[in-house]
This record gives sequence, C-alpha cells and structure tokens, in this order.
Amino acid sequence: MTQIPDNSRTNNADSHGQPAVLETGGVFGDESSTINRRRFLEAAGFSISLAALTGCGRAPVETALPFPIQPVGAIPGRFQDYASTCAGCPTACGLLVGTRDGRPLKMEGLPEHPLSRGGLCAVGQALPIGLYDSHRLTGPLSAGKSSEWASVDQEIIQAFSQIKEQKKAVRFVTPTITSPTLQANIDAFLAQFENAKHVVFDAISSSAILDAHEQTHGVRVLPHYLLDKAKVLISFGADFLGTWISPVEFTAAWSSRRAPTEEYPEMSYHVQIESRMSLTGSNADRRVTIAPNEQHLVLSRLAHEVASLAGKPLENSPPLEGSLADTEIASLARKLWEARGESLVLCDSQDKATQVAVNLINHHLEGYGKTLDVKRPSNQRQGSDRDVQQLVEELEADQVGALLVADVDLLHDLASCQTLADAVGRIPLTISFSQREDEFASLAKFVCPDHHVLESWSDAEPIGGLISLAQPTIRPLRETRAVLESLAVWSDRPTTAYEALQSHWKKTIFPRRQKEASAQFVKFWEQSLREGFVEVEAAKSVVGDFKAGEVKPLAQQTATGDFSLILYTKVSMPDSRHSHNPWLHELPDPISKVTWGNYVCVSPSDAKELGLVDGDIVKVSAGDEGPQLELPALVQTGQHDGVLAIALAYGCKGTDRFAKIGPQWFEARPTVLENELLGKNAAAFVEFRDGAQQYLRSGVTLSKTSKRRDLATTQLYNSLEVPAEVAPHGAERRDIVQHTTLNAFAKDTHAGAVEHHFDGDTQLWPEDHPKTGHAWGMVIDLNKCTGCSACVIACQSENNVPVVGYDEVRRQREMHWMRIDRYYTGEGEDMDVDHQPMMCQHCDNAPCETVCPVLATVHSSEGLNEQVYNRCVGTRYCANNCPYKVRRFNWFKYEHDDTLQNLVLNPEVTVRSRGVMEKCSMCVQRIEAGKVEARSQGLPVADGAIQTACQQSCPANAIVFGDINDQESKIYEALENPRRYRVLEELNVRPSVSYLRVVKNRDEESHSG
Amino acid sequence: MQQRVTTIVLLIGLCFGLSLLVSAMGTWRLPDNQQGYAPKQPIAYSHRLHAGELQIDCKFCHSASESSRHAGIPSADVCMKCHRYVTAPFDVMQQEMKLADKEKRKPEMIVSEELQKLYDALALDENFQPIEGATPQSIPWVRVHNLPDYARFNHQAHVTVGVSCQKCHGPVETMERVRQHATLSMGWCVNCHRDATREGINGRKVHASTNCSVCHH
Repeated sequence: MTQIPDNSRTNNADSHGQPAVLETGGVFGDESSTINRRRFLEAAGFSISLAALTGCGRAPVETALPFPIQPVGAIPGRFQDYASTCAGCPTACGLLVGTRDGRPLKMEGLPEHPLSRGGLCAVGQALPIGLYDSHRLTGPLSAGKSSEWASVDQEIIQAFSQIKEQKKAVRFVTPTITSPTLQANIDAFLAQFENAKHVVFDAISSSAILDAHEQTHGVRVLPHYLLDKAKVLISFGADFLGTWISPVEFTAAWSSRRAPTEEYPEMSYHVQIESRMSLTGSNADRRVTIAPNEQHLVLSRLAHEVASLAGKPLENSPPLEGSLADTEIASLARKLWEARGESLVLCDSQDKATQVAVNLINHHLEGYGKTLDVKRPSNQRQGSDRDVQQLVEELEADQVGALLVADVDLLHDLASCQTLADAVGRIPLTISFSQREDEFASLAKFVCPDHHVLESWSDAEPIGGLISLAQPTIRPLRETRAVLESLAVWSDRPTTAYEALQSHWKKTIFPRRQKEASAQFVKFWEQSLREGFVEVEAAKSVVGDFKAGEVKPLAQQTATGDFSLILYTKVSMPDSRHSHNPWLHELPDPISKVTWGNYVCVSPSDAKELGLVDGDIVKVSAGDEGPQLELPALVQTGQHDGVLAIALAYGCKGTDRFAKIGPQWFEARPTVLENELLGKNAAAFVEFRDGAQQYLRSGVTLSKTSKRRDLATTQLYNSLEVPAEVAPHGAERRDIVQHTTLNAFAKDTHAGAVEHHFDGDTQLWPEDHPKTGHAWGMVIDLNKCTGCSACVIACQSENNVPVVGYDEVRRQREMHWMRIDRYYTGEGEDMDVDHQPMMCQHCDNAPCETVCPVLATVHSSEGLNEQVYNRCVGTRYCANNCPYKVRRFNWFKYEHDDTLQNLVLNPEVTVRSRGVMEKCSMCVQRIEAGKVEARSQGLPVADGAIQTACQQSCPANAIVFGDINDQESKIYEALENPRRYRVLEELNVRPSVSYLRVVKNRDEESHSG
Repeated sequence: MQQRVTTIVLLIGLCFGLSLLVSAMGTWRLPDNQQGYAPKQPIAYSHRLHAGELQIDCKFCHSASESSRHAGIPSADVCMKCHRYVTAPFDVMQQEMKLADKEKRKPEMIVSEELQKLYDALALDENFQPIEGATPQSIPWVRVHNLPDYARFNHQAHVTVGVSCQKCHGPVETMERVRQHATLSMGWCVNCHRDATREGINGRKVHASTNCSVCHH
C-alpha cells in the first residue's frame, strides 16, 4: 500500500495526495492506458472482494431442540391462550395469557369476563417482564443468606412451636386478598395459634368507605359500583378511570355510556370535583377544582340539597364558602335527583363522616341496588386501617412473636412510622414472602419467595358470586414456592397449591354453583378452568336497613400551613410491588407525560409565585419534626392553588438497578443518580387519623432549592391553541382534536366538523394502486378513550419495543410506537383536556414513502405503510417528513444482554438493530397470522378475527380495526359515523386511521376548532 | 518503472484472486447463500429410508406443518412410536432371530448404535424402562434451513394451499442426509410467489402476495 503516495505523486497531485483527479475529470495526462489512482483502487478492490467472496464461510451452526416428549396439544411456533386471572392488583380482571413454545408472552383481556370485558390495564400488560426478571430471588433466604427450603422449613417450624408454647402473638400482614382459597388457608394456618390475626393492609386504602357502610348498613363492605347504570355521575376526587379500586371495569362501564349516536344522542353526565388533575377529571364533562379541605363541606351541602329534594332535609346545614356557589350545588343536586335510580356519587375521601354523607346521598338517590350494590359487594379493597394502626402499636410495644408479610413491603409503605424498623428487628420470628429483597425482606429472618403470578395456581372472588381461576403458564423459573404451600408445610400438612385449590373448590365453591352448572365436580372444575371464571351464588350477607339518623352535617376543616399535600398513585405504578418493572417506569403518565420517577405537582400560579419551572428541585416538608423530601417540581395545569401532589410507590429498595438502563454512551446521564433510588418514597407523609390512612396532609411547606433535575417528559407541547400573535383568523385552535357538545350533536350530528379548504381532486400521485383485496383501517373513538395508556404497554409487549431509560426519553428518543398525546385547551374551569392516541396513520399518500432513498418504507397492496428493517439505512428522511411524528429511530443497539429478560421478546417480531427506523406496523404479524389461519380453513377473514394489540386490550373499547373493503365490518360502520374525522386532513395524505370527535355533555354550543 | 511495478503487483493480485475463485468454482455462491449445506446430524437419520423407501408421509413426523409457522422437528417420543419395536436394521434382527433359534434361546434385544442415542435421549433402557436418575434430553438437531432473523416463513400458509414440500426442500426422499436444496434467497421466494399468482397452485387460483411485510415484520 505504500505505493499509493508514490503513485499519486507521479500524477502531480498535491502533497496531501489530493486529487488532481477532480479537476481534470478523472484522466491524468494523456497516458490513458497507464494505471492511475482510480484504476488502482478499482482493481485492488476487485481482487480483494474476489478473495473475500471465495473465503465466505458458512453461517454459524444453529441447533433446533424439539421437546424430548411433546406435551399434548403443544404446537411449536403457535400462540396458545389460557384463561386466567390478573394478579397485578386486587382488582382481579380476567386475563388471557398468550403463550408460545411454553413461555407466557402477551397478556390480553379475557373478552367474556363480566367485569373487565376484555380490557386490561397497563400493569396487567406488563406482567411478563416481571416474570423474566433476573433480579428476582432465586430461592429462600435465611438471615439474609441464600439457603435451602428444607433447612428454612425446619427452622421456621421450630420457631413456630416455640411461639405456640410461649403463647405469643402471630400477625399475618397482606394486602387485600381476593382469593377465597388463600384466605381460607391463611385462616386455617392462623387457627393453630391462640393469639393470631390476619391484618389486611392496603397501601392505597379505601378503609373509610367500608367503615362508613358498617355504620350505615351494618356490614363492613365495599359496594360494587355499577357505572354503566349511572346516567349522572359525580365523583369527588375518585380517580375511577385511572387508579381507584377497579379502573378497567369502571372504564369499560363508563365508556359504554359515552357513545352518542344519531338515533340516540344521549350520554352520561360526569362531573369531577377534585383538587389535583386526575385522569378521570381530564375526561369529565365538567371539572370543578376545589381546595382539598372544602371537599366534605361541598359534600354535606350536596347531601343537604339531595335530602331536601327527597323530603327529608337535614338539620342545621352549614353555609358554603368556597369555589362552588350554593346555586351550583343545588343544580347538581337537581340533576342527580331527576336521574334518581340512575345517578351515583363517588368519593375517595378517607374520612368516615364524609363517606357517610356520600352514602346518605346515594341512599336518597335510590342508588343502592341500582347503581351500587352492597348485597353482592366488591372484595377488591378489604383493608382495615384500624387493624394496621393497632398492629403498629403492638409492634412498637414488642407484643408480637411472629410477623409474616406477603405481597406488601411493610416498611416502605408504612414509612411514616419511623421506629417500625427497629421494632421489626426485635421480633423473634419475621418471615417475608417477597419475590425480592425489599425493605421488610432485608430485615426479615426468613424470606420465602412466592411464585410470580404467572407461575402459580390461584383464584379470586372480586365481586360476591363471581369467582375466577388463575392458572400457571410456565414452570417456576426460580426455586420459589407459593405462600399457600409454605403455610401448608409449616402446619405439617404439605400440599400443592393445585390440590389445595381443588379441595377448597370442592368444599365451598362447588356447593354454591348455579342450577344450570354441571353436577359433577370434575366437569364444573374443567369448565371454570377453560372459561377462566364462573358465576355462583353470592355468599349471603346481612345488610341492615339504612340508618339515616347517624348522618351529621360536617363542619369546615380549617387549613393550616402553606400547602396541602395530596398523595396519589400514578396510573402506571399502583403499588410498590411493581417498582422493578421497567416498562411501567417508562410509560408516560397520562396527564403529566413524565416517565421514570415521581415529582411534586405544583399549580401554575403557585409555581409563578415561587419562580418554579419544571425540573427545579423543591423541598417539601411537614413541619420541623415531620417528614421531608426533595423532588423535582412539575407545573401541573388544572391543579388547585395551594395544593401539592406527589405519587406514592416510588423510592423502593433495589430500584438503583435501573441506574444504567438504556444506552451507555459518553454523554449518557444515569436514570438513577448515585446512592439514590428511583423517585422518593412519599409514604412518610401518610398519617393515621380517625382510624384511616390519610392521603391528604395539610400544613406542608414548599421551598425551592438551587438544584435541578430535568424531568424525562415525552411531550413538550401541551396546547392546541395557536399563540394569538401568529394564529390565522378563524384557526386560533388547532383542529387536531375536534370537539362538540351533546346539544350541538343532537341538532346536527356533524357539529364540530372543520371545513377544509383544499382541493381533493388535485393529486400529486396518480390513483393507480387500487386496494382490491383487504384494506386495513382503524377508527379511534376519542369520546371513549380515557388516555389510560394500556395500549402503549400492549404495543410495547407485542412489538418488542425496547426500554431506553431516563436520559433517552429526556432527549425525546423514546421508542414507543404508540403514544397518547395530551392537550390542554382553555383555562381554569373551562379547561379541557384531550387524549389522543397517535401512531403511524398508514397514509395512502404517505410522505415518508416518497423520501426514502432505499425503498425501505413502501406501501402494501392492503393499505399498510410498511417499514422494511433490513433495507433501512437510517437516513431519517422519513421521520423528518412525517407530519404525525410517529417514526422512531434506533439511535443505539438497545441492550439485549439479559438472556432471561430476552424471553419476553415476541418471536413474531424482528428485534431492530441500530440505525434502523421503526414505527407502528398495525400489528402486521397478527394480520398475516389471521389471513393464514382463515385461508387454511378455506374461509374469508372474519371481521374481528384479527385484532391489533392496542385494540384487544383497550378497556374502553375505543379502537376499531378491520377491513374497510368488507361492508359488513365494524370498521365500515365506524367510518360512516358522523363524528369521524382525520387528523391533518388538509395535507391530503389520506390516513387509514380516523378518529371520532369528542362530545362533551354540556349545555353550551360547540366551540369548533 | 514505478507504474510497471504497480501493474505487476496488481496483476499478481488479480491472478491470485481468480485462482482462488476457480478453485472454489464448484461450490461458488453469494455470501449468505447456504445452498447445499448438509451438516452432520447427531443421529444419522435417513430421510431416504423413512420418506423414500418406507413411504412415511412428511406430515406424520412434521405434524405442525399444517397448523403452525414451524413444521416442527418431531420429539423423540414420536420416533419411539415405531422404534420401540424397530430397534435395529431388519437383517441384523433377522440374523439374531435365526441364531437364537439355532441356539434354542430367546432372541436378545439388539439396539443399533444410532437408535441407542434415541433411547439415551429419552432416558430409557433397551427394555423401554426409564433409567433412574436420568432425565429426558432434547436431541440437538442441527438446523439445515436457516433464514435470517428478519425474514419469516410460514409453513402453514404454504402447506395448506398445496405447495409440496419438495418445492422448497427438494427431493428429500432421496437424501441420506438432508441438505439445503434451494438458495432460500429473497429472489427465489419472490419468483415463486409471482409464478404462483400467475399460474396458480395445482390448478387453483391463489394470490401469493409480494408485499414486503408478508415476510419482513
């Protein structure tokens, strides 16, 4: 190669070997036959590539391992669905576990399930990544060291026999248990001891509702709220579409009344009265912000008005001072009263007196038995905060001999009791059933890890009389053991969870069967297992008559201090058990759009006063003695002044594992800072007052520090309003999300439509690609969509979307194929929040396709915009030319080093490499599989046989997907809907995805975009 | 002078490359073209014997080919359906029978060397009893037809419309050891798809799509 400089020098190139070649048009001198630099390179390149070609070896040898003995029914490479029950939270939604080659991969909603109706929330969707988590405990621990089950059992049995002899107290702490079998086994286990008690501790408790029903109805139950029966719905702070009790069920029920049609232009009227901006509030027809301490005042006024309308006025009703005028409350009361029997009031208060007032209202509205049911009550929250408080007192007084904790991190969620850790350390026997070393487990003498929910047999009775089964879909990956089995071993009656489950069903569930059920247990069992659930007679409960006399009007609480602090949970993180789930951490909060960690929500005017911007670290403290923490601030539109809000379930032990998640390059910032955890634990602010955990704390001060940490937000533009100085006349509001009101809609079903002044006839491209076969399309009903983000995780799970970490999200490089845009319009009371799922629109005149220099993104004959990864060279022209900004670029080769975690990958979808563009494919793998399935049966593709991942899991049933060419299909019908429009229609890119206009149930006329 | 040296060096390079090429001409192929690949398998299974001579249908063993993306390699217990009785070549067994007959004893169970591997995989002894302490193990068959990870082939789609196995896999029934018959290149796939759409399969009209996402997703 040393010849090159010599060679070029002879050809009068400059001293850098730079090309005279360019100036002379490629020919040096007149000797065209001589070898010049270009020829040399050509020839050298040719001979080298020849040598390289001949030297090509074989691809690496791959083995294919069939089963030694193939299980019956197992077909390699084929998805098989098993009906089961989700155990992500005590709600117990119906689950359809998609397994392939023996691995559970895709969680879907069980369509026949009466509560969840085929929906599944983000947490349920994210179960598999928790299963394939290499940080789970691999076996039991004894005094913090890994041990064997046999020796651990021996020690524990010994310790229990000592406790029996010394007659010490045994306490078993769990969150709400909906499983009747586990409950019966815990009861049987505790019955061995003289002083034993099962304490139900819900970190997010609804204790006050149960206590209030104990007072008014004589039974301590949580009513089953039937939102689909509610025509008028007033919620005081209850985020029932996001996190409150049973969000999937409530979303399905709520959205069933949110679809006005031409024939029946009717929908429910939903008012949300709250202090912070919740997901439910963002979807309400009317949202009223009040100070948190006004809540029970407003409620008791409402109770007074409703009682007066019912002809039983309350004595001495307090006057109202605050944001809601008397006349307004009277009008709300009238609306409720007019729809009595079809109206419902919900409240998230943890104050018993407030909940009694709510019961009174619902009683006068004739709701009991119609819109809420106490005869077949909900078992989804059973926590008794009084018991928890008593337990804490016992622990601190060293009265407990053995403490067993399952499924909850006692020390993390009871962070308000600072001396608890010492007290726990003094207990002779502490056992944790945690799957990882959480705060309690790291102090416990023994850790006996439970199976992951996808590895275990269980059942659940979320509503009286509705029992579902959970079946394992994989053999336990670790040396774990079900709680039930551990208890059985320690009671010297070893059994398997399966046997225990069957025997309990035989004994107590089977006799409760309905008349039409099989009289043979085996058949009854098999049918229940196949269908996932069974309806039986509800256990008889003695509901007393309503005792109205006990309701007293409430006095206004006086607020002290600067701020009131509301502790809430994010939609993506319902409790600390999910704190190790990277999918949930990277799921943007539906309202704030922030990922990775928690923050302090501050109202815009408070932020202005204090000079705060997003990301400024603030110090929140409750008095000098009280707890304090430092977190970044987030300015939250729609939050009441004087209110702060912090999410619970953060700052969990072990979350520093996420420090290095995402690509580690020289400018990368860690997701978790050194010696810190992901977010901060705000549970220290939770107080026990009046026998309930209070998630509202007044007297909190806020101060700005000099530090900053940028929030990893996925959305930087929040408004649909064009700034006044640049807005064209008549287009002050962008019509990306179109609105109308029910009144306007009833008069004209096309109300709210936006006239576009473009010439649809002029085409840049000839219309020479007719779609004669299938033509796939999607319609999303924005009036049903609540923004709950279940679809985002469904898509991530289906399509192998990588987790990129805090820093990449901060740089707007998140990889989610589906995002939910959230827009604010208006201010204060008139503010509207819109949620709009946005993914590749599969345009017929796709702007991305025309700019791709390598034809890596092309149009299919079925109307799909295809992305061919193996062709893509990463110019990113397509992303720049996409008006919807839905394309995602692989800036890095995202980590796939964890071989256990890789089991979560869907083998039907290519794992993309660095430098490749990707985007929503409309689940083309499902389309292809559906077509093949139909063809092999010799049938046409049935409508609804192919469902995209986002559509399947949508709790609101807001997404319709199908073949536009099929005139019998649901999509065809949806496209005829007068509310239908397309985003950025004026560009004439002709998207295959349409949206249905938002209709708010309001009196005023439509404010069109 | 320098130019001449360069020319000579280049010519030598060219000749060297060409000579390598000529020597490799017999097996010449484009990079990633694995045509003709016939790796040694852990058990010397003969498709010629089973599919050719004994006329066992392909789908008897590759039973998933009609219902799944993968045709599936049969699990060892499928082999055992026959091989719990057929444990050695016919002539070897016959010889033993004759010998036993002559020596007036019961014929001994003979398990051939290759079939012993199958018994070992299932942790069974020659009397078909489980061996204590051993667990059944998968047989590590070597993949012959290996598409890149970004390309997907669906057996169900092809088998159910009537594309014969031999169309892609070649005359397997004549192969002692299976080798890759076709190039499995994209051009080869697309040409067949075009032909099938134009000419149909077995006289039936089909639409074999050539959309990218049919195979790449």
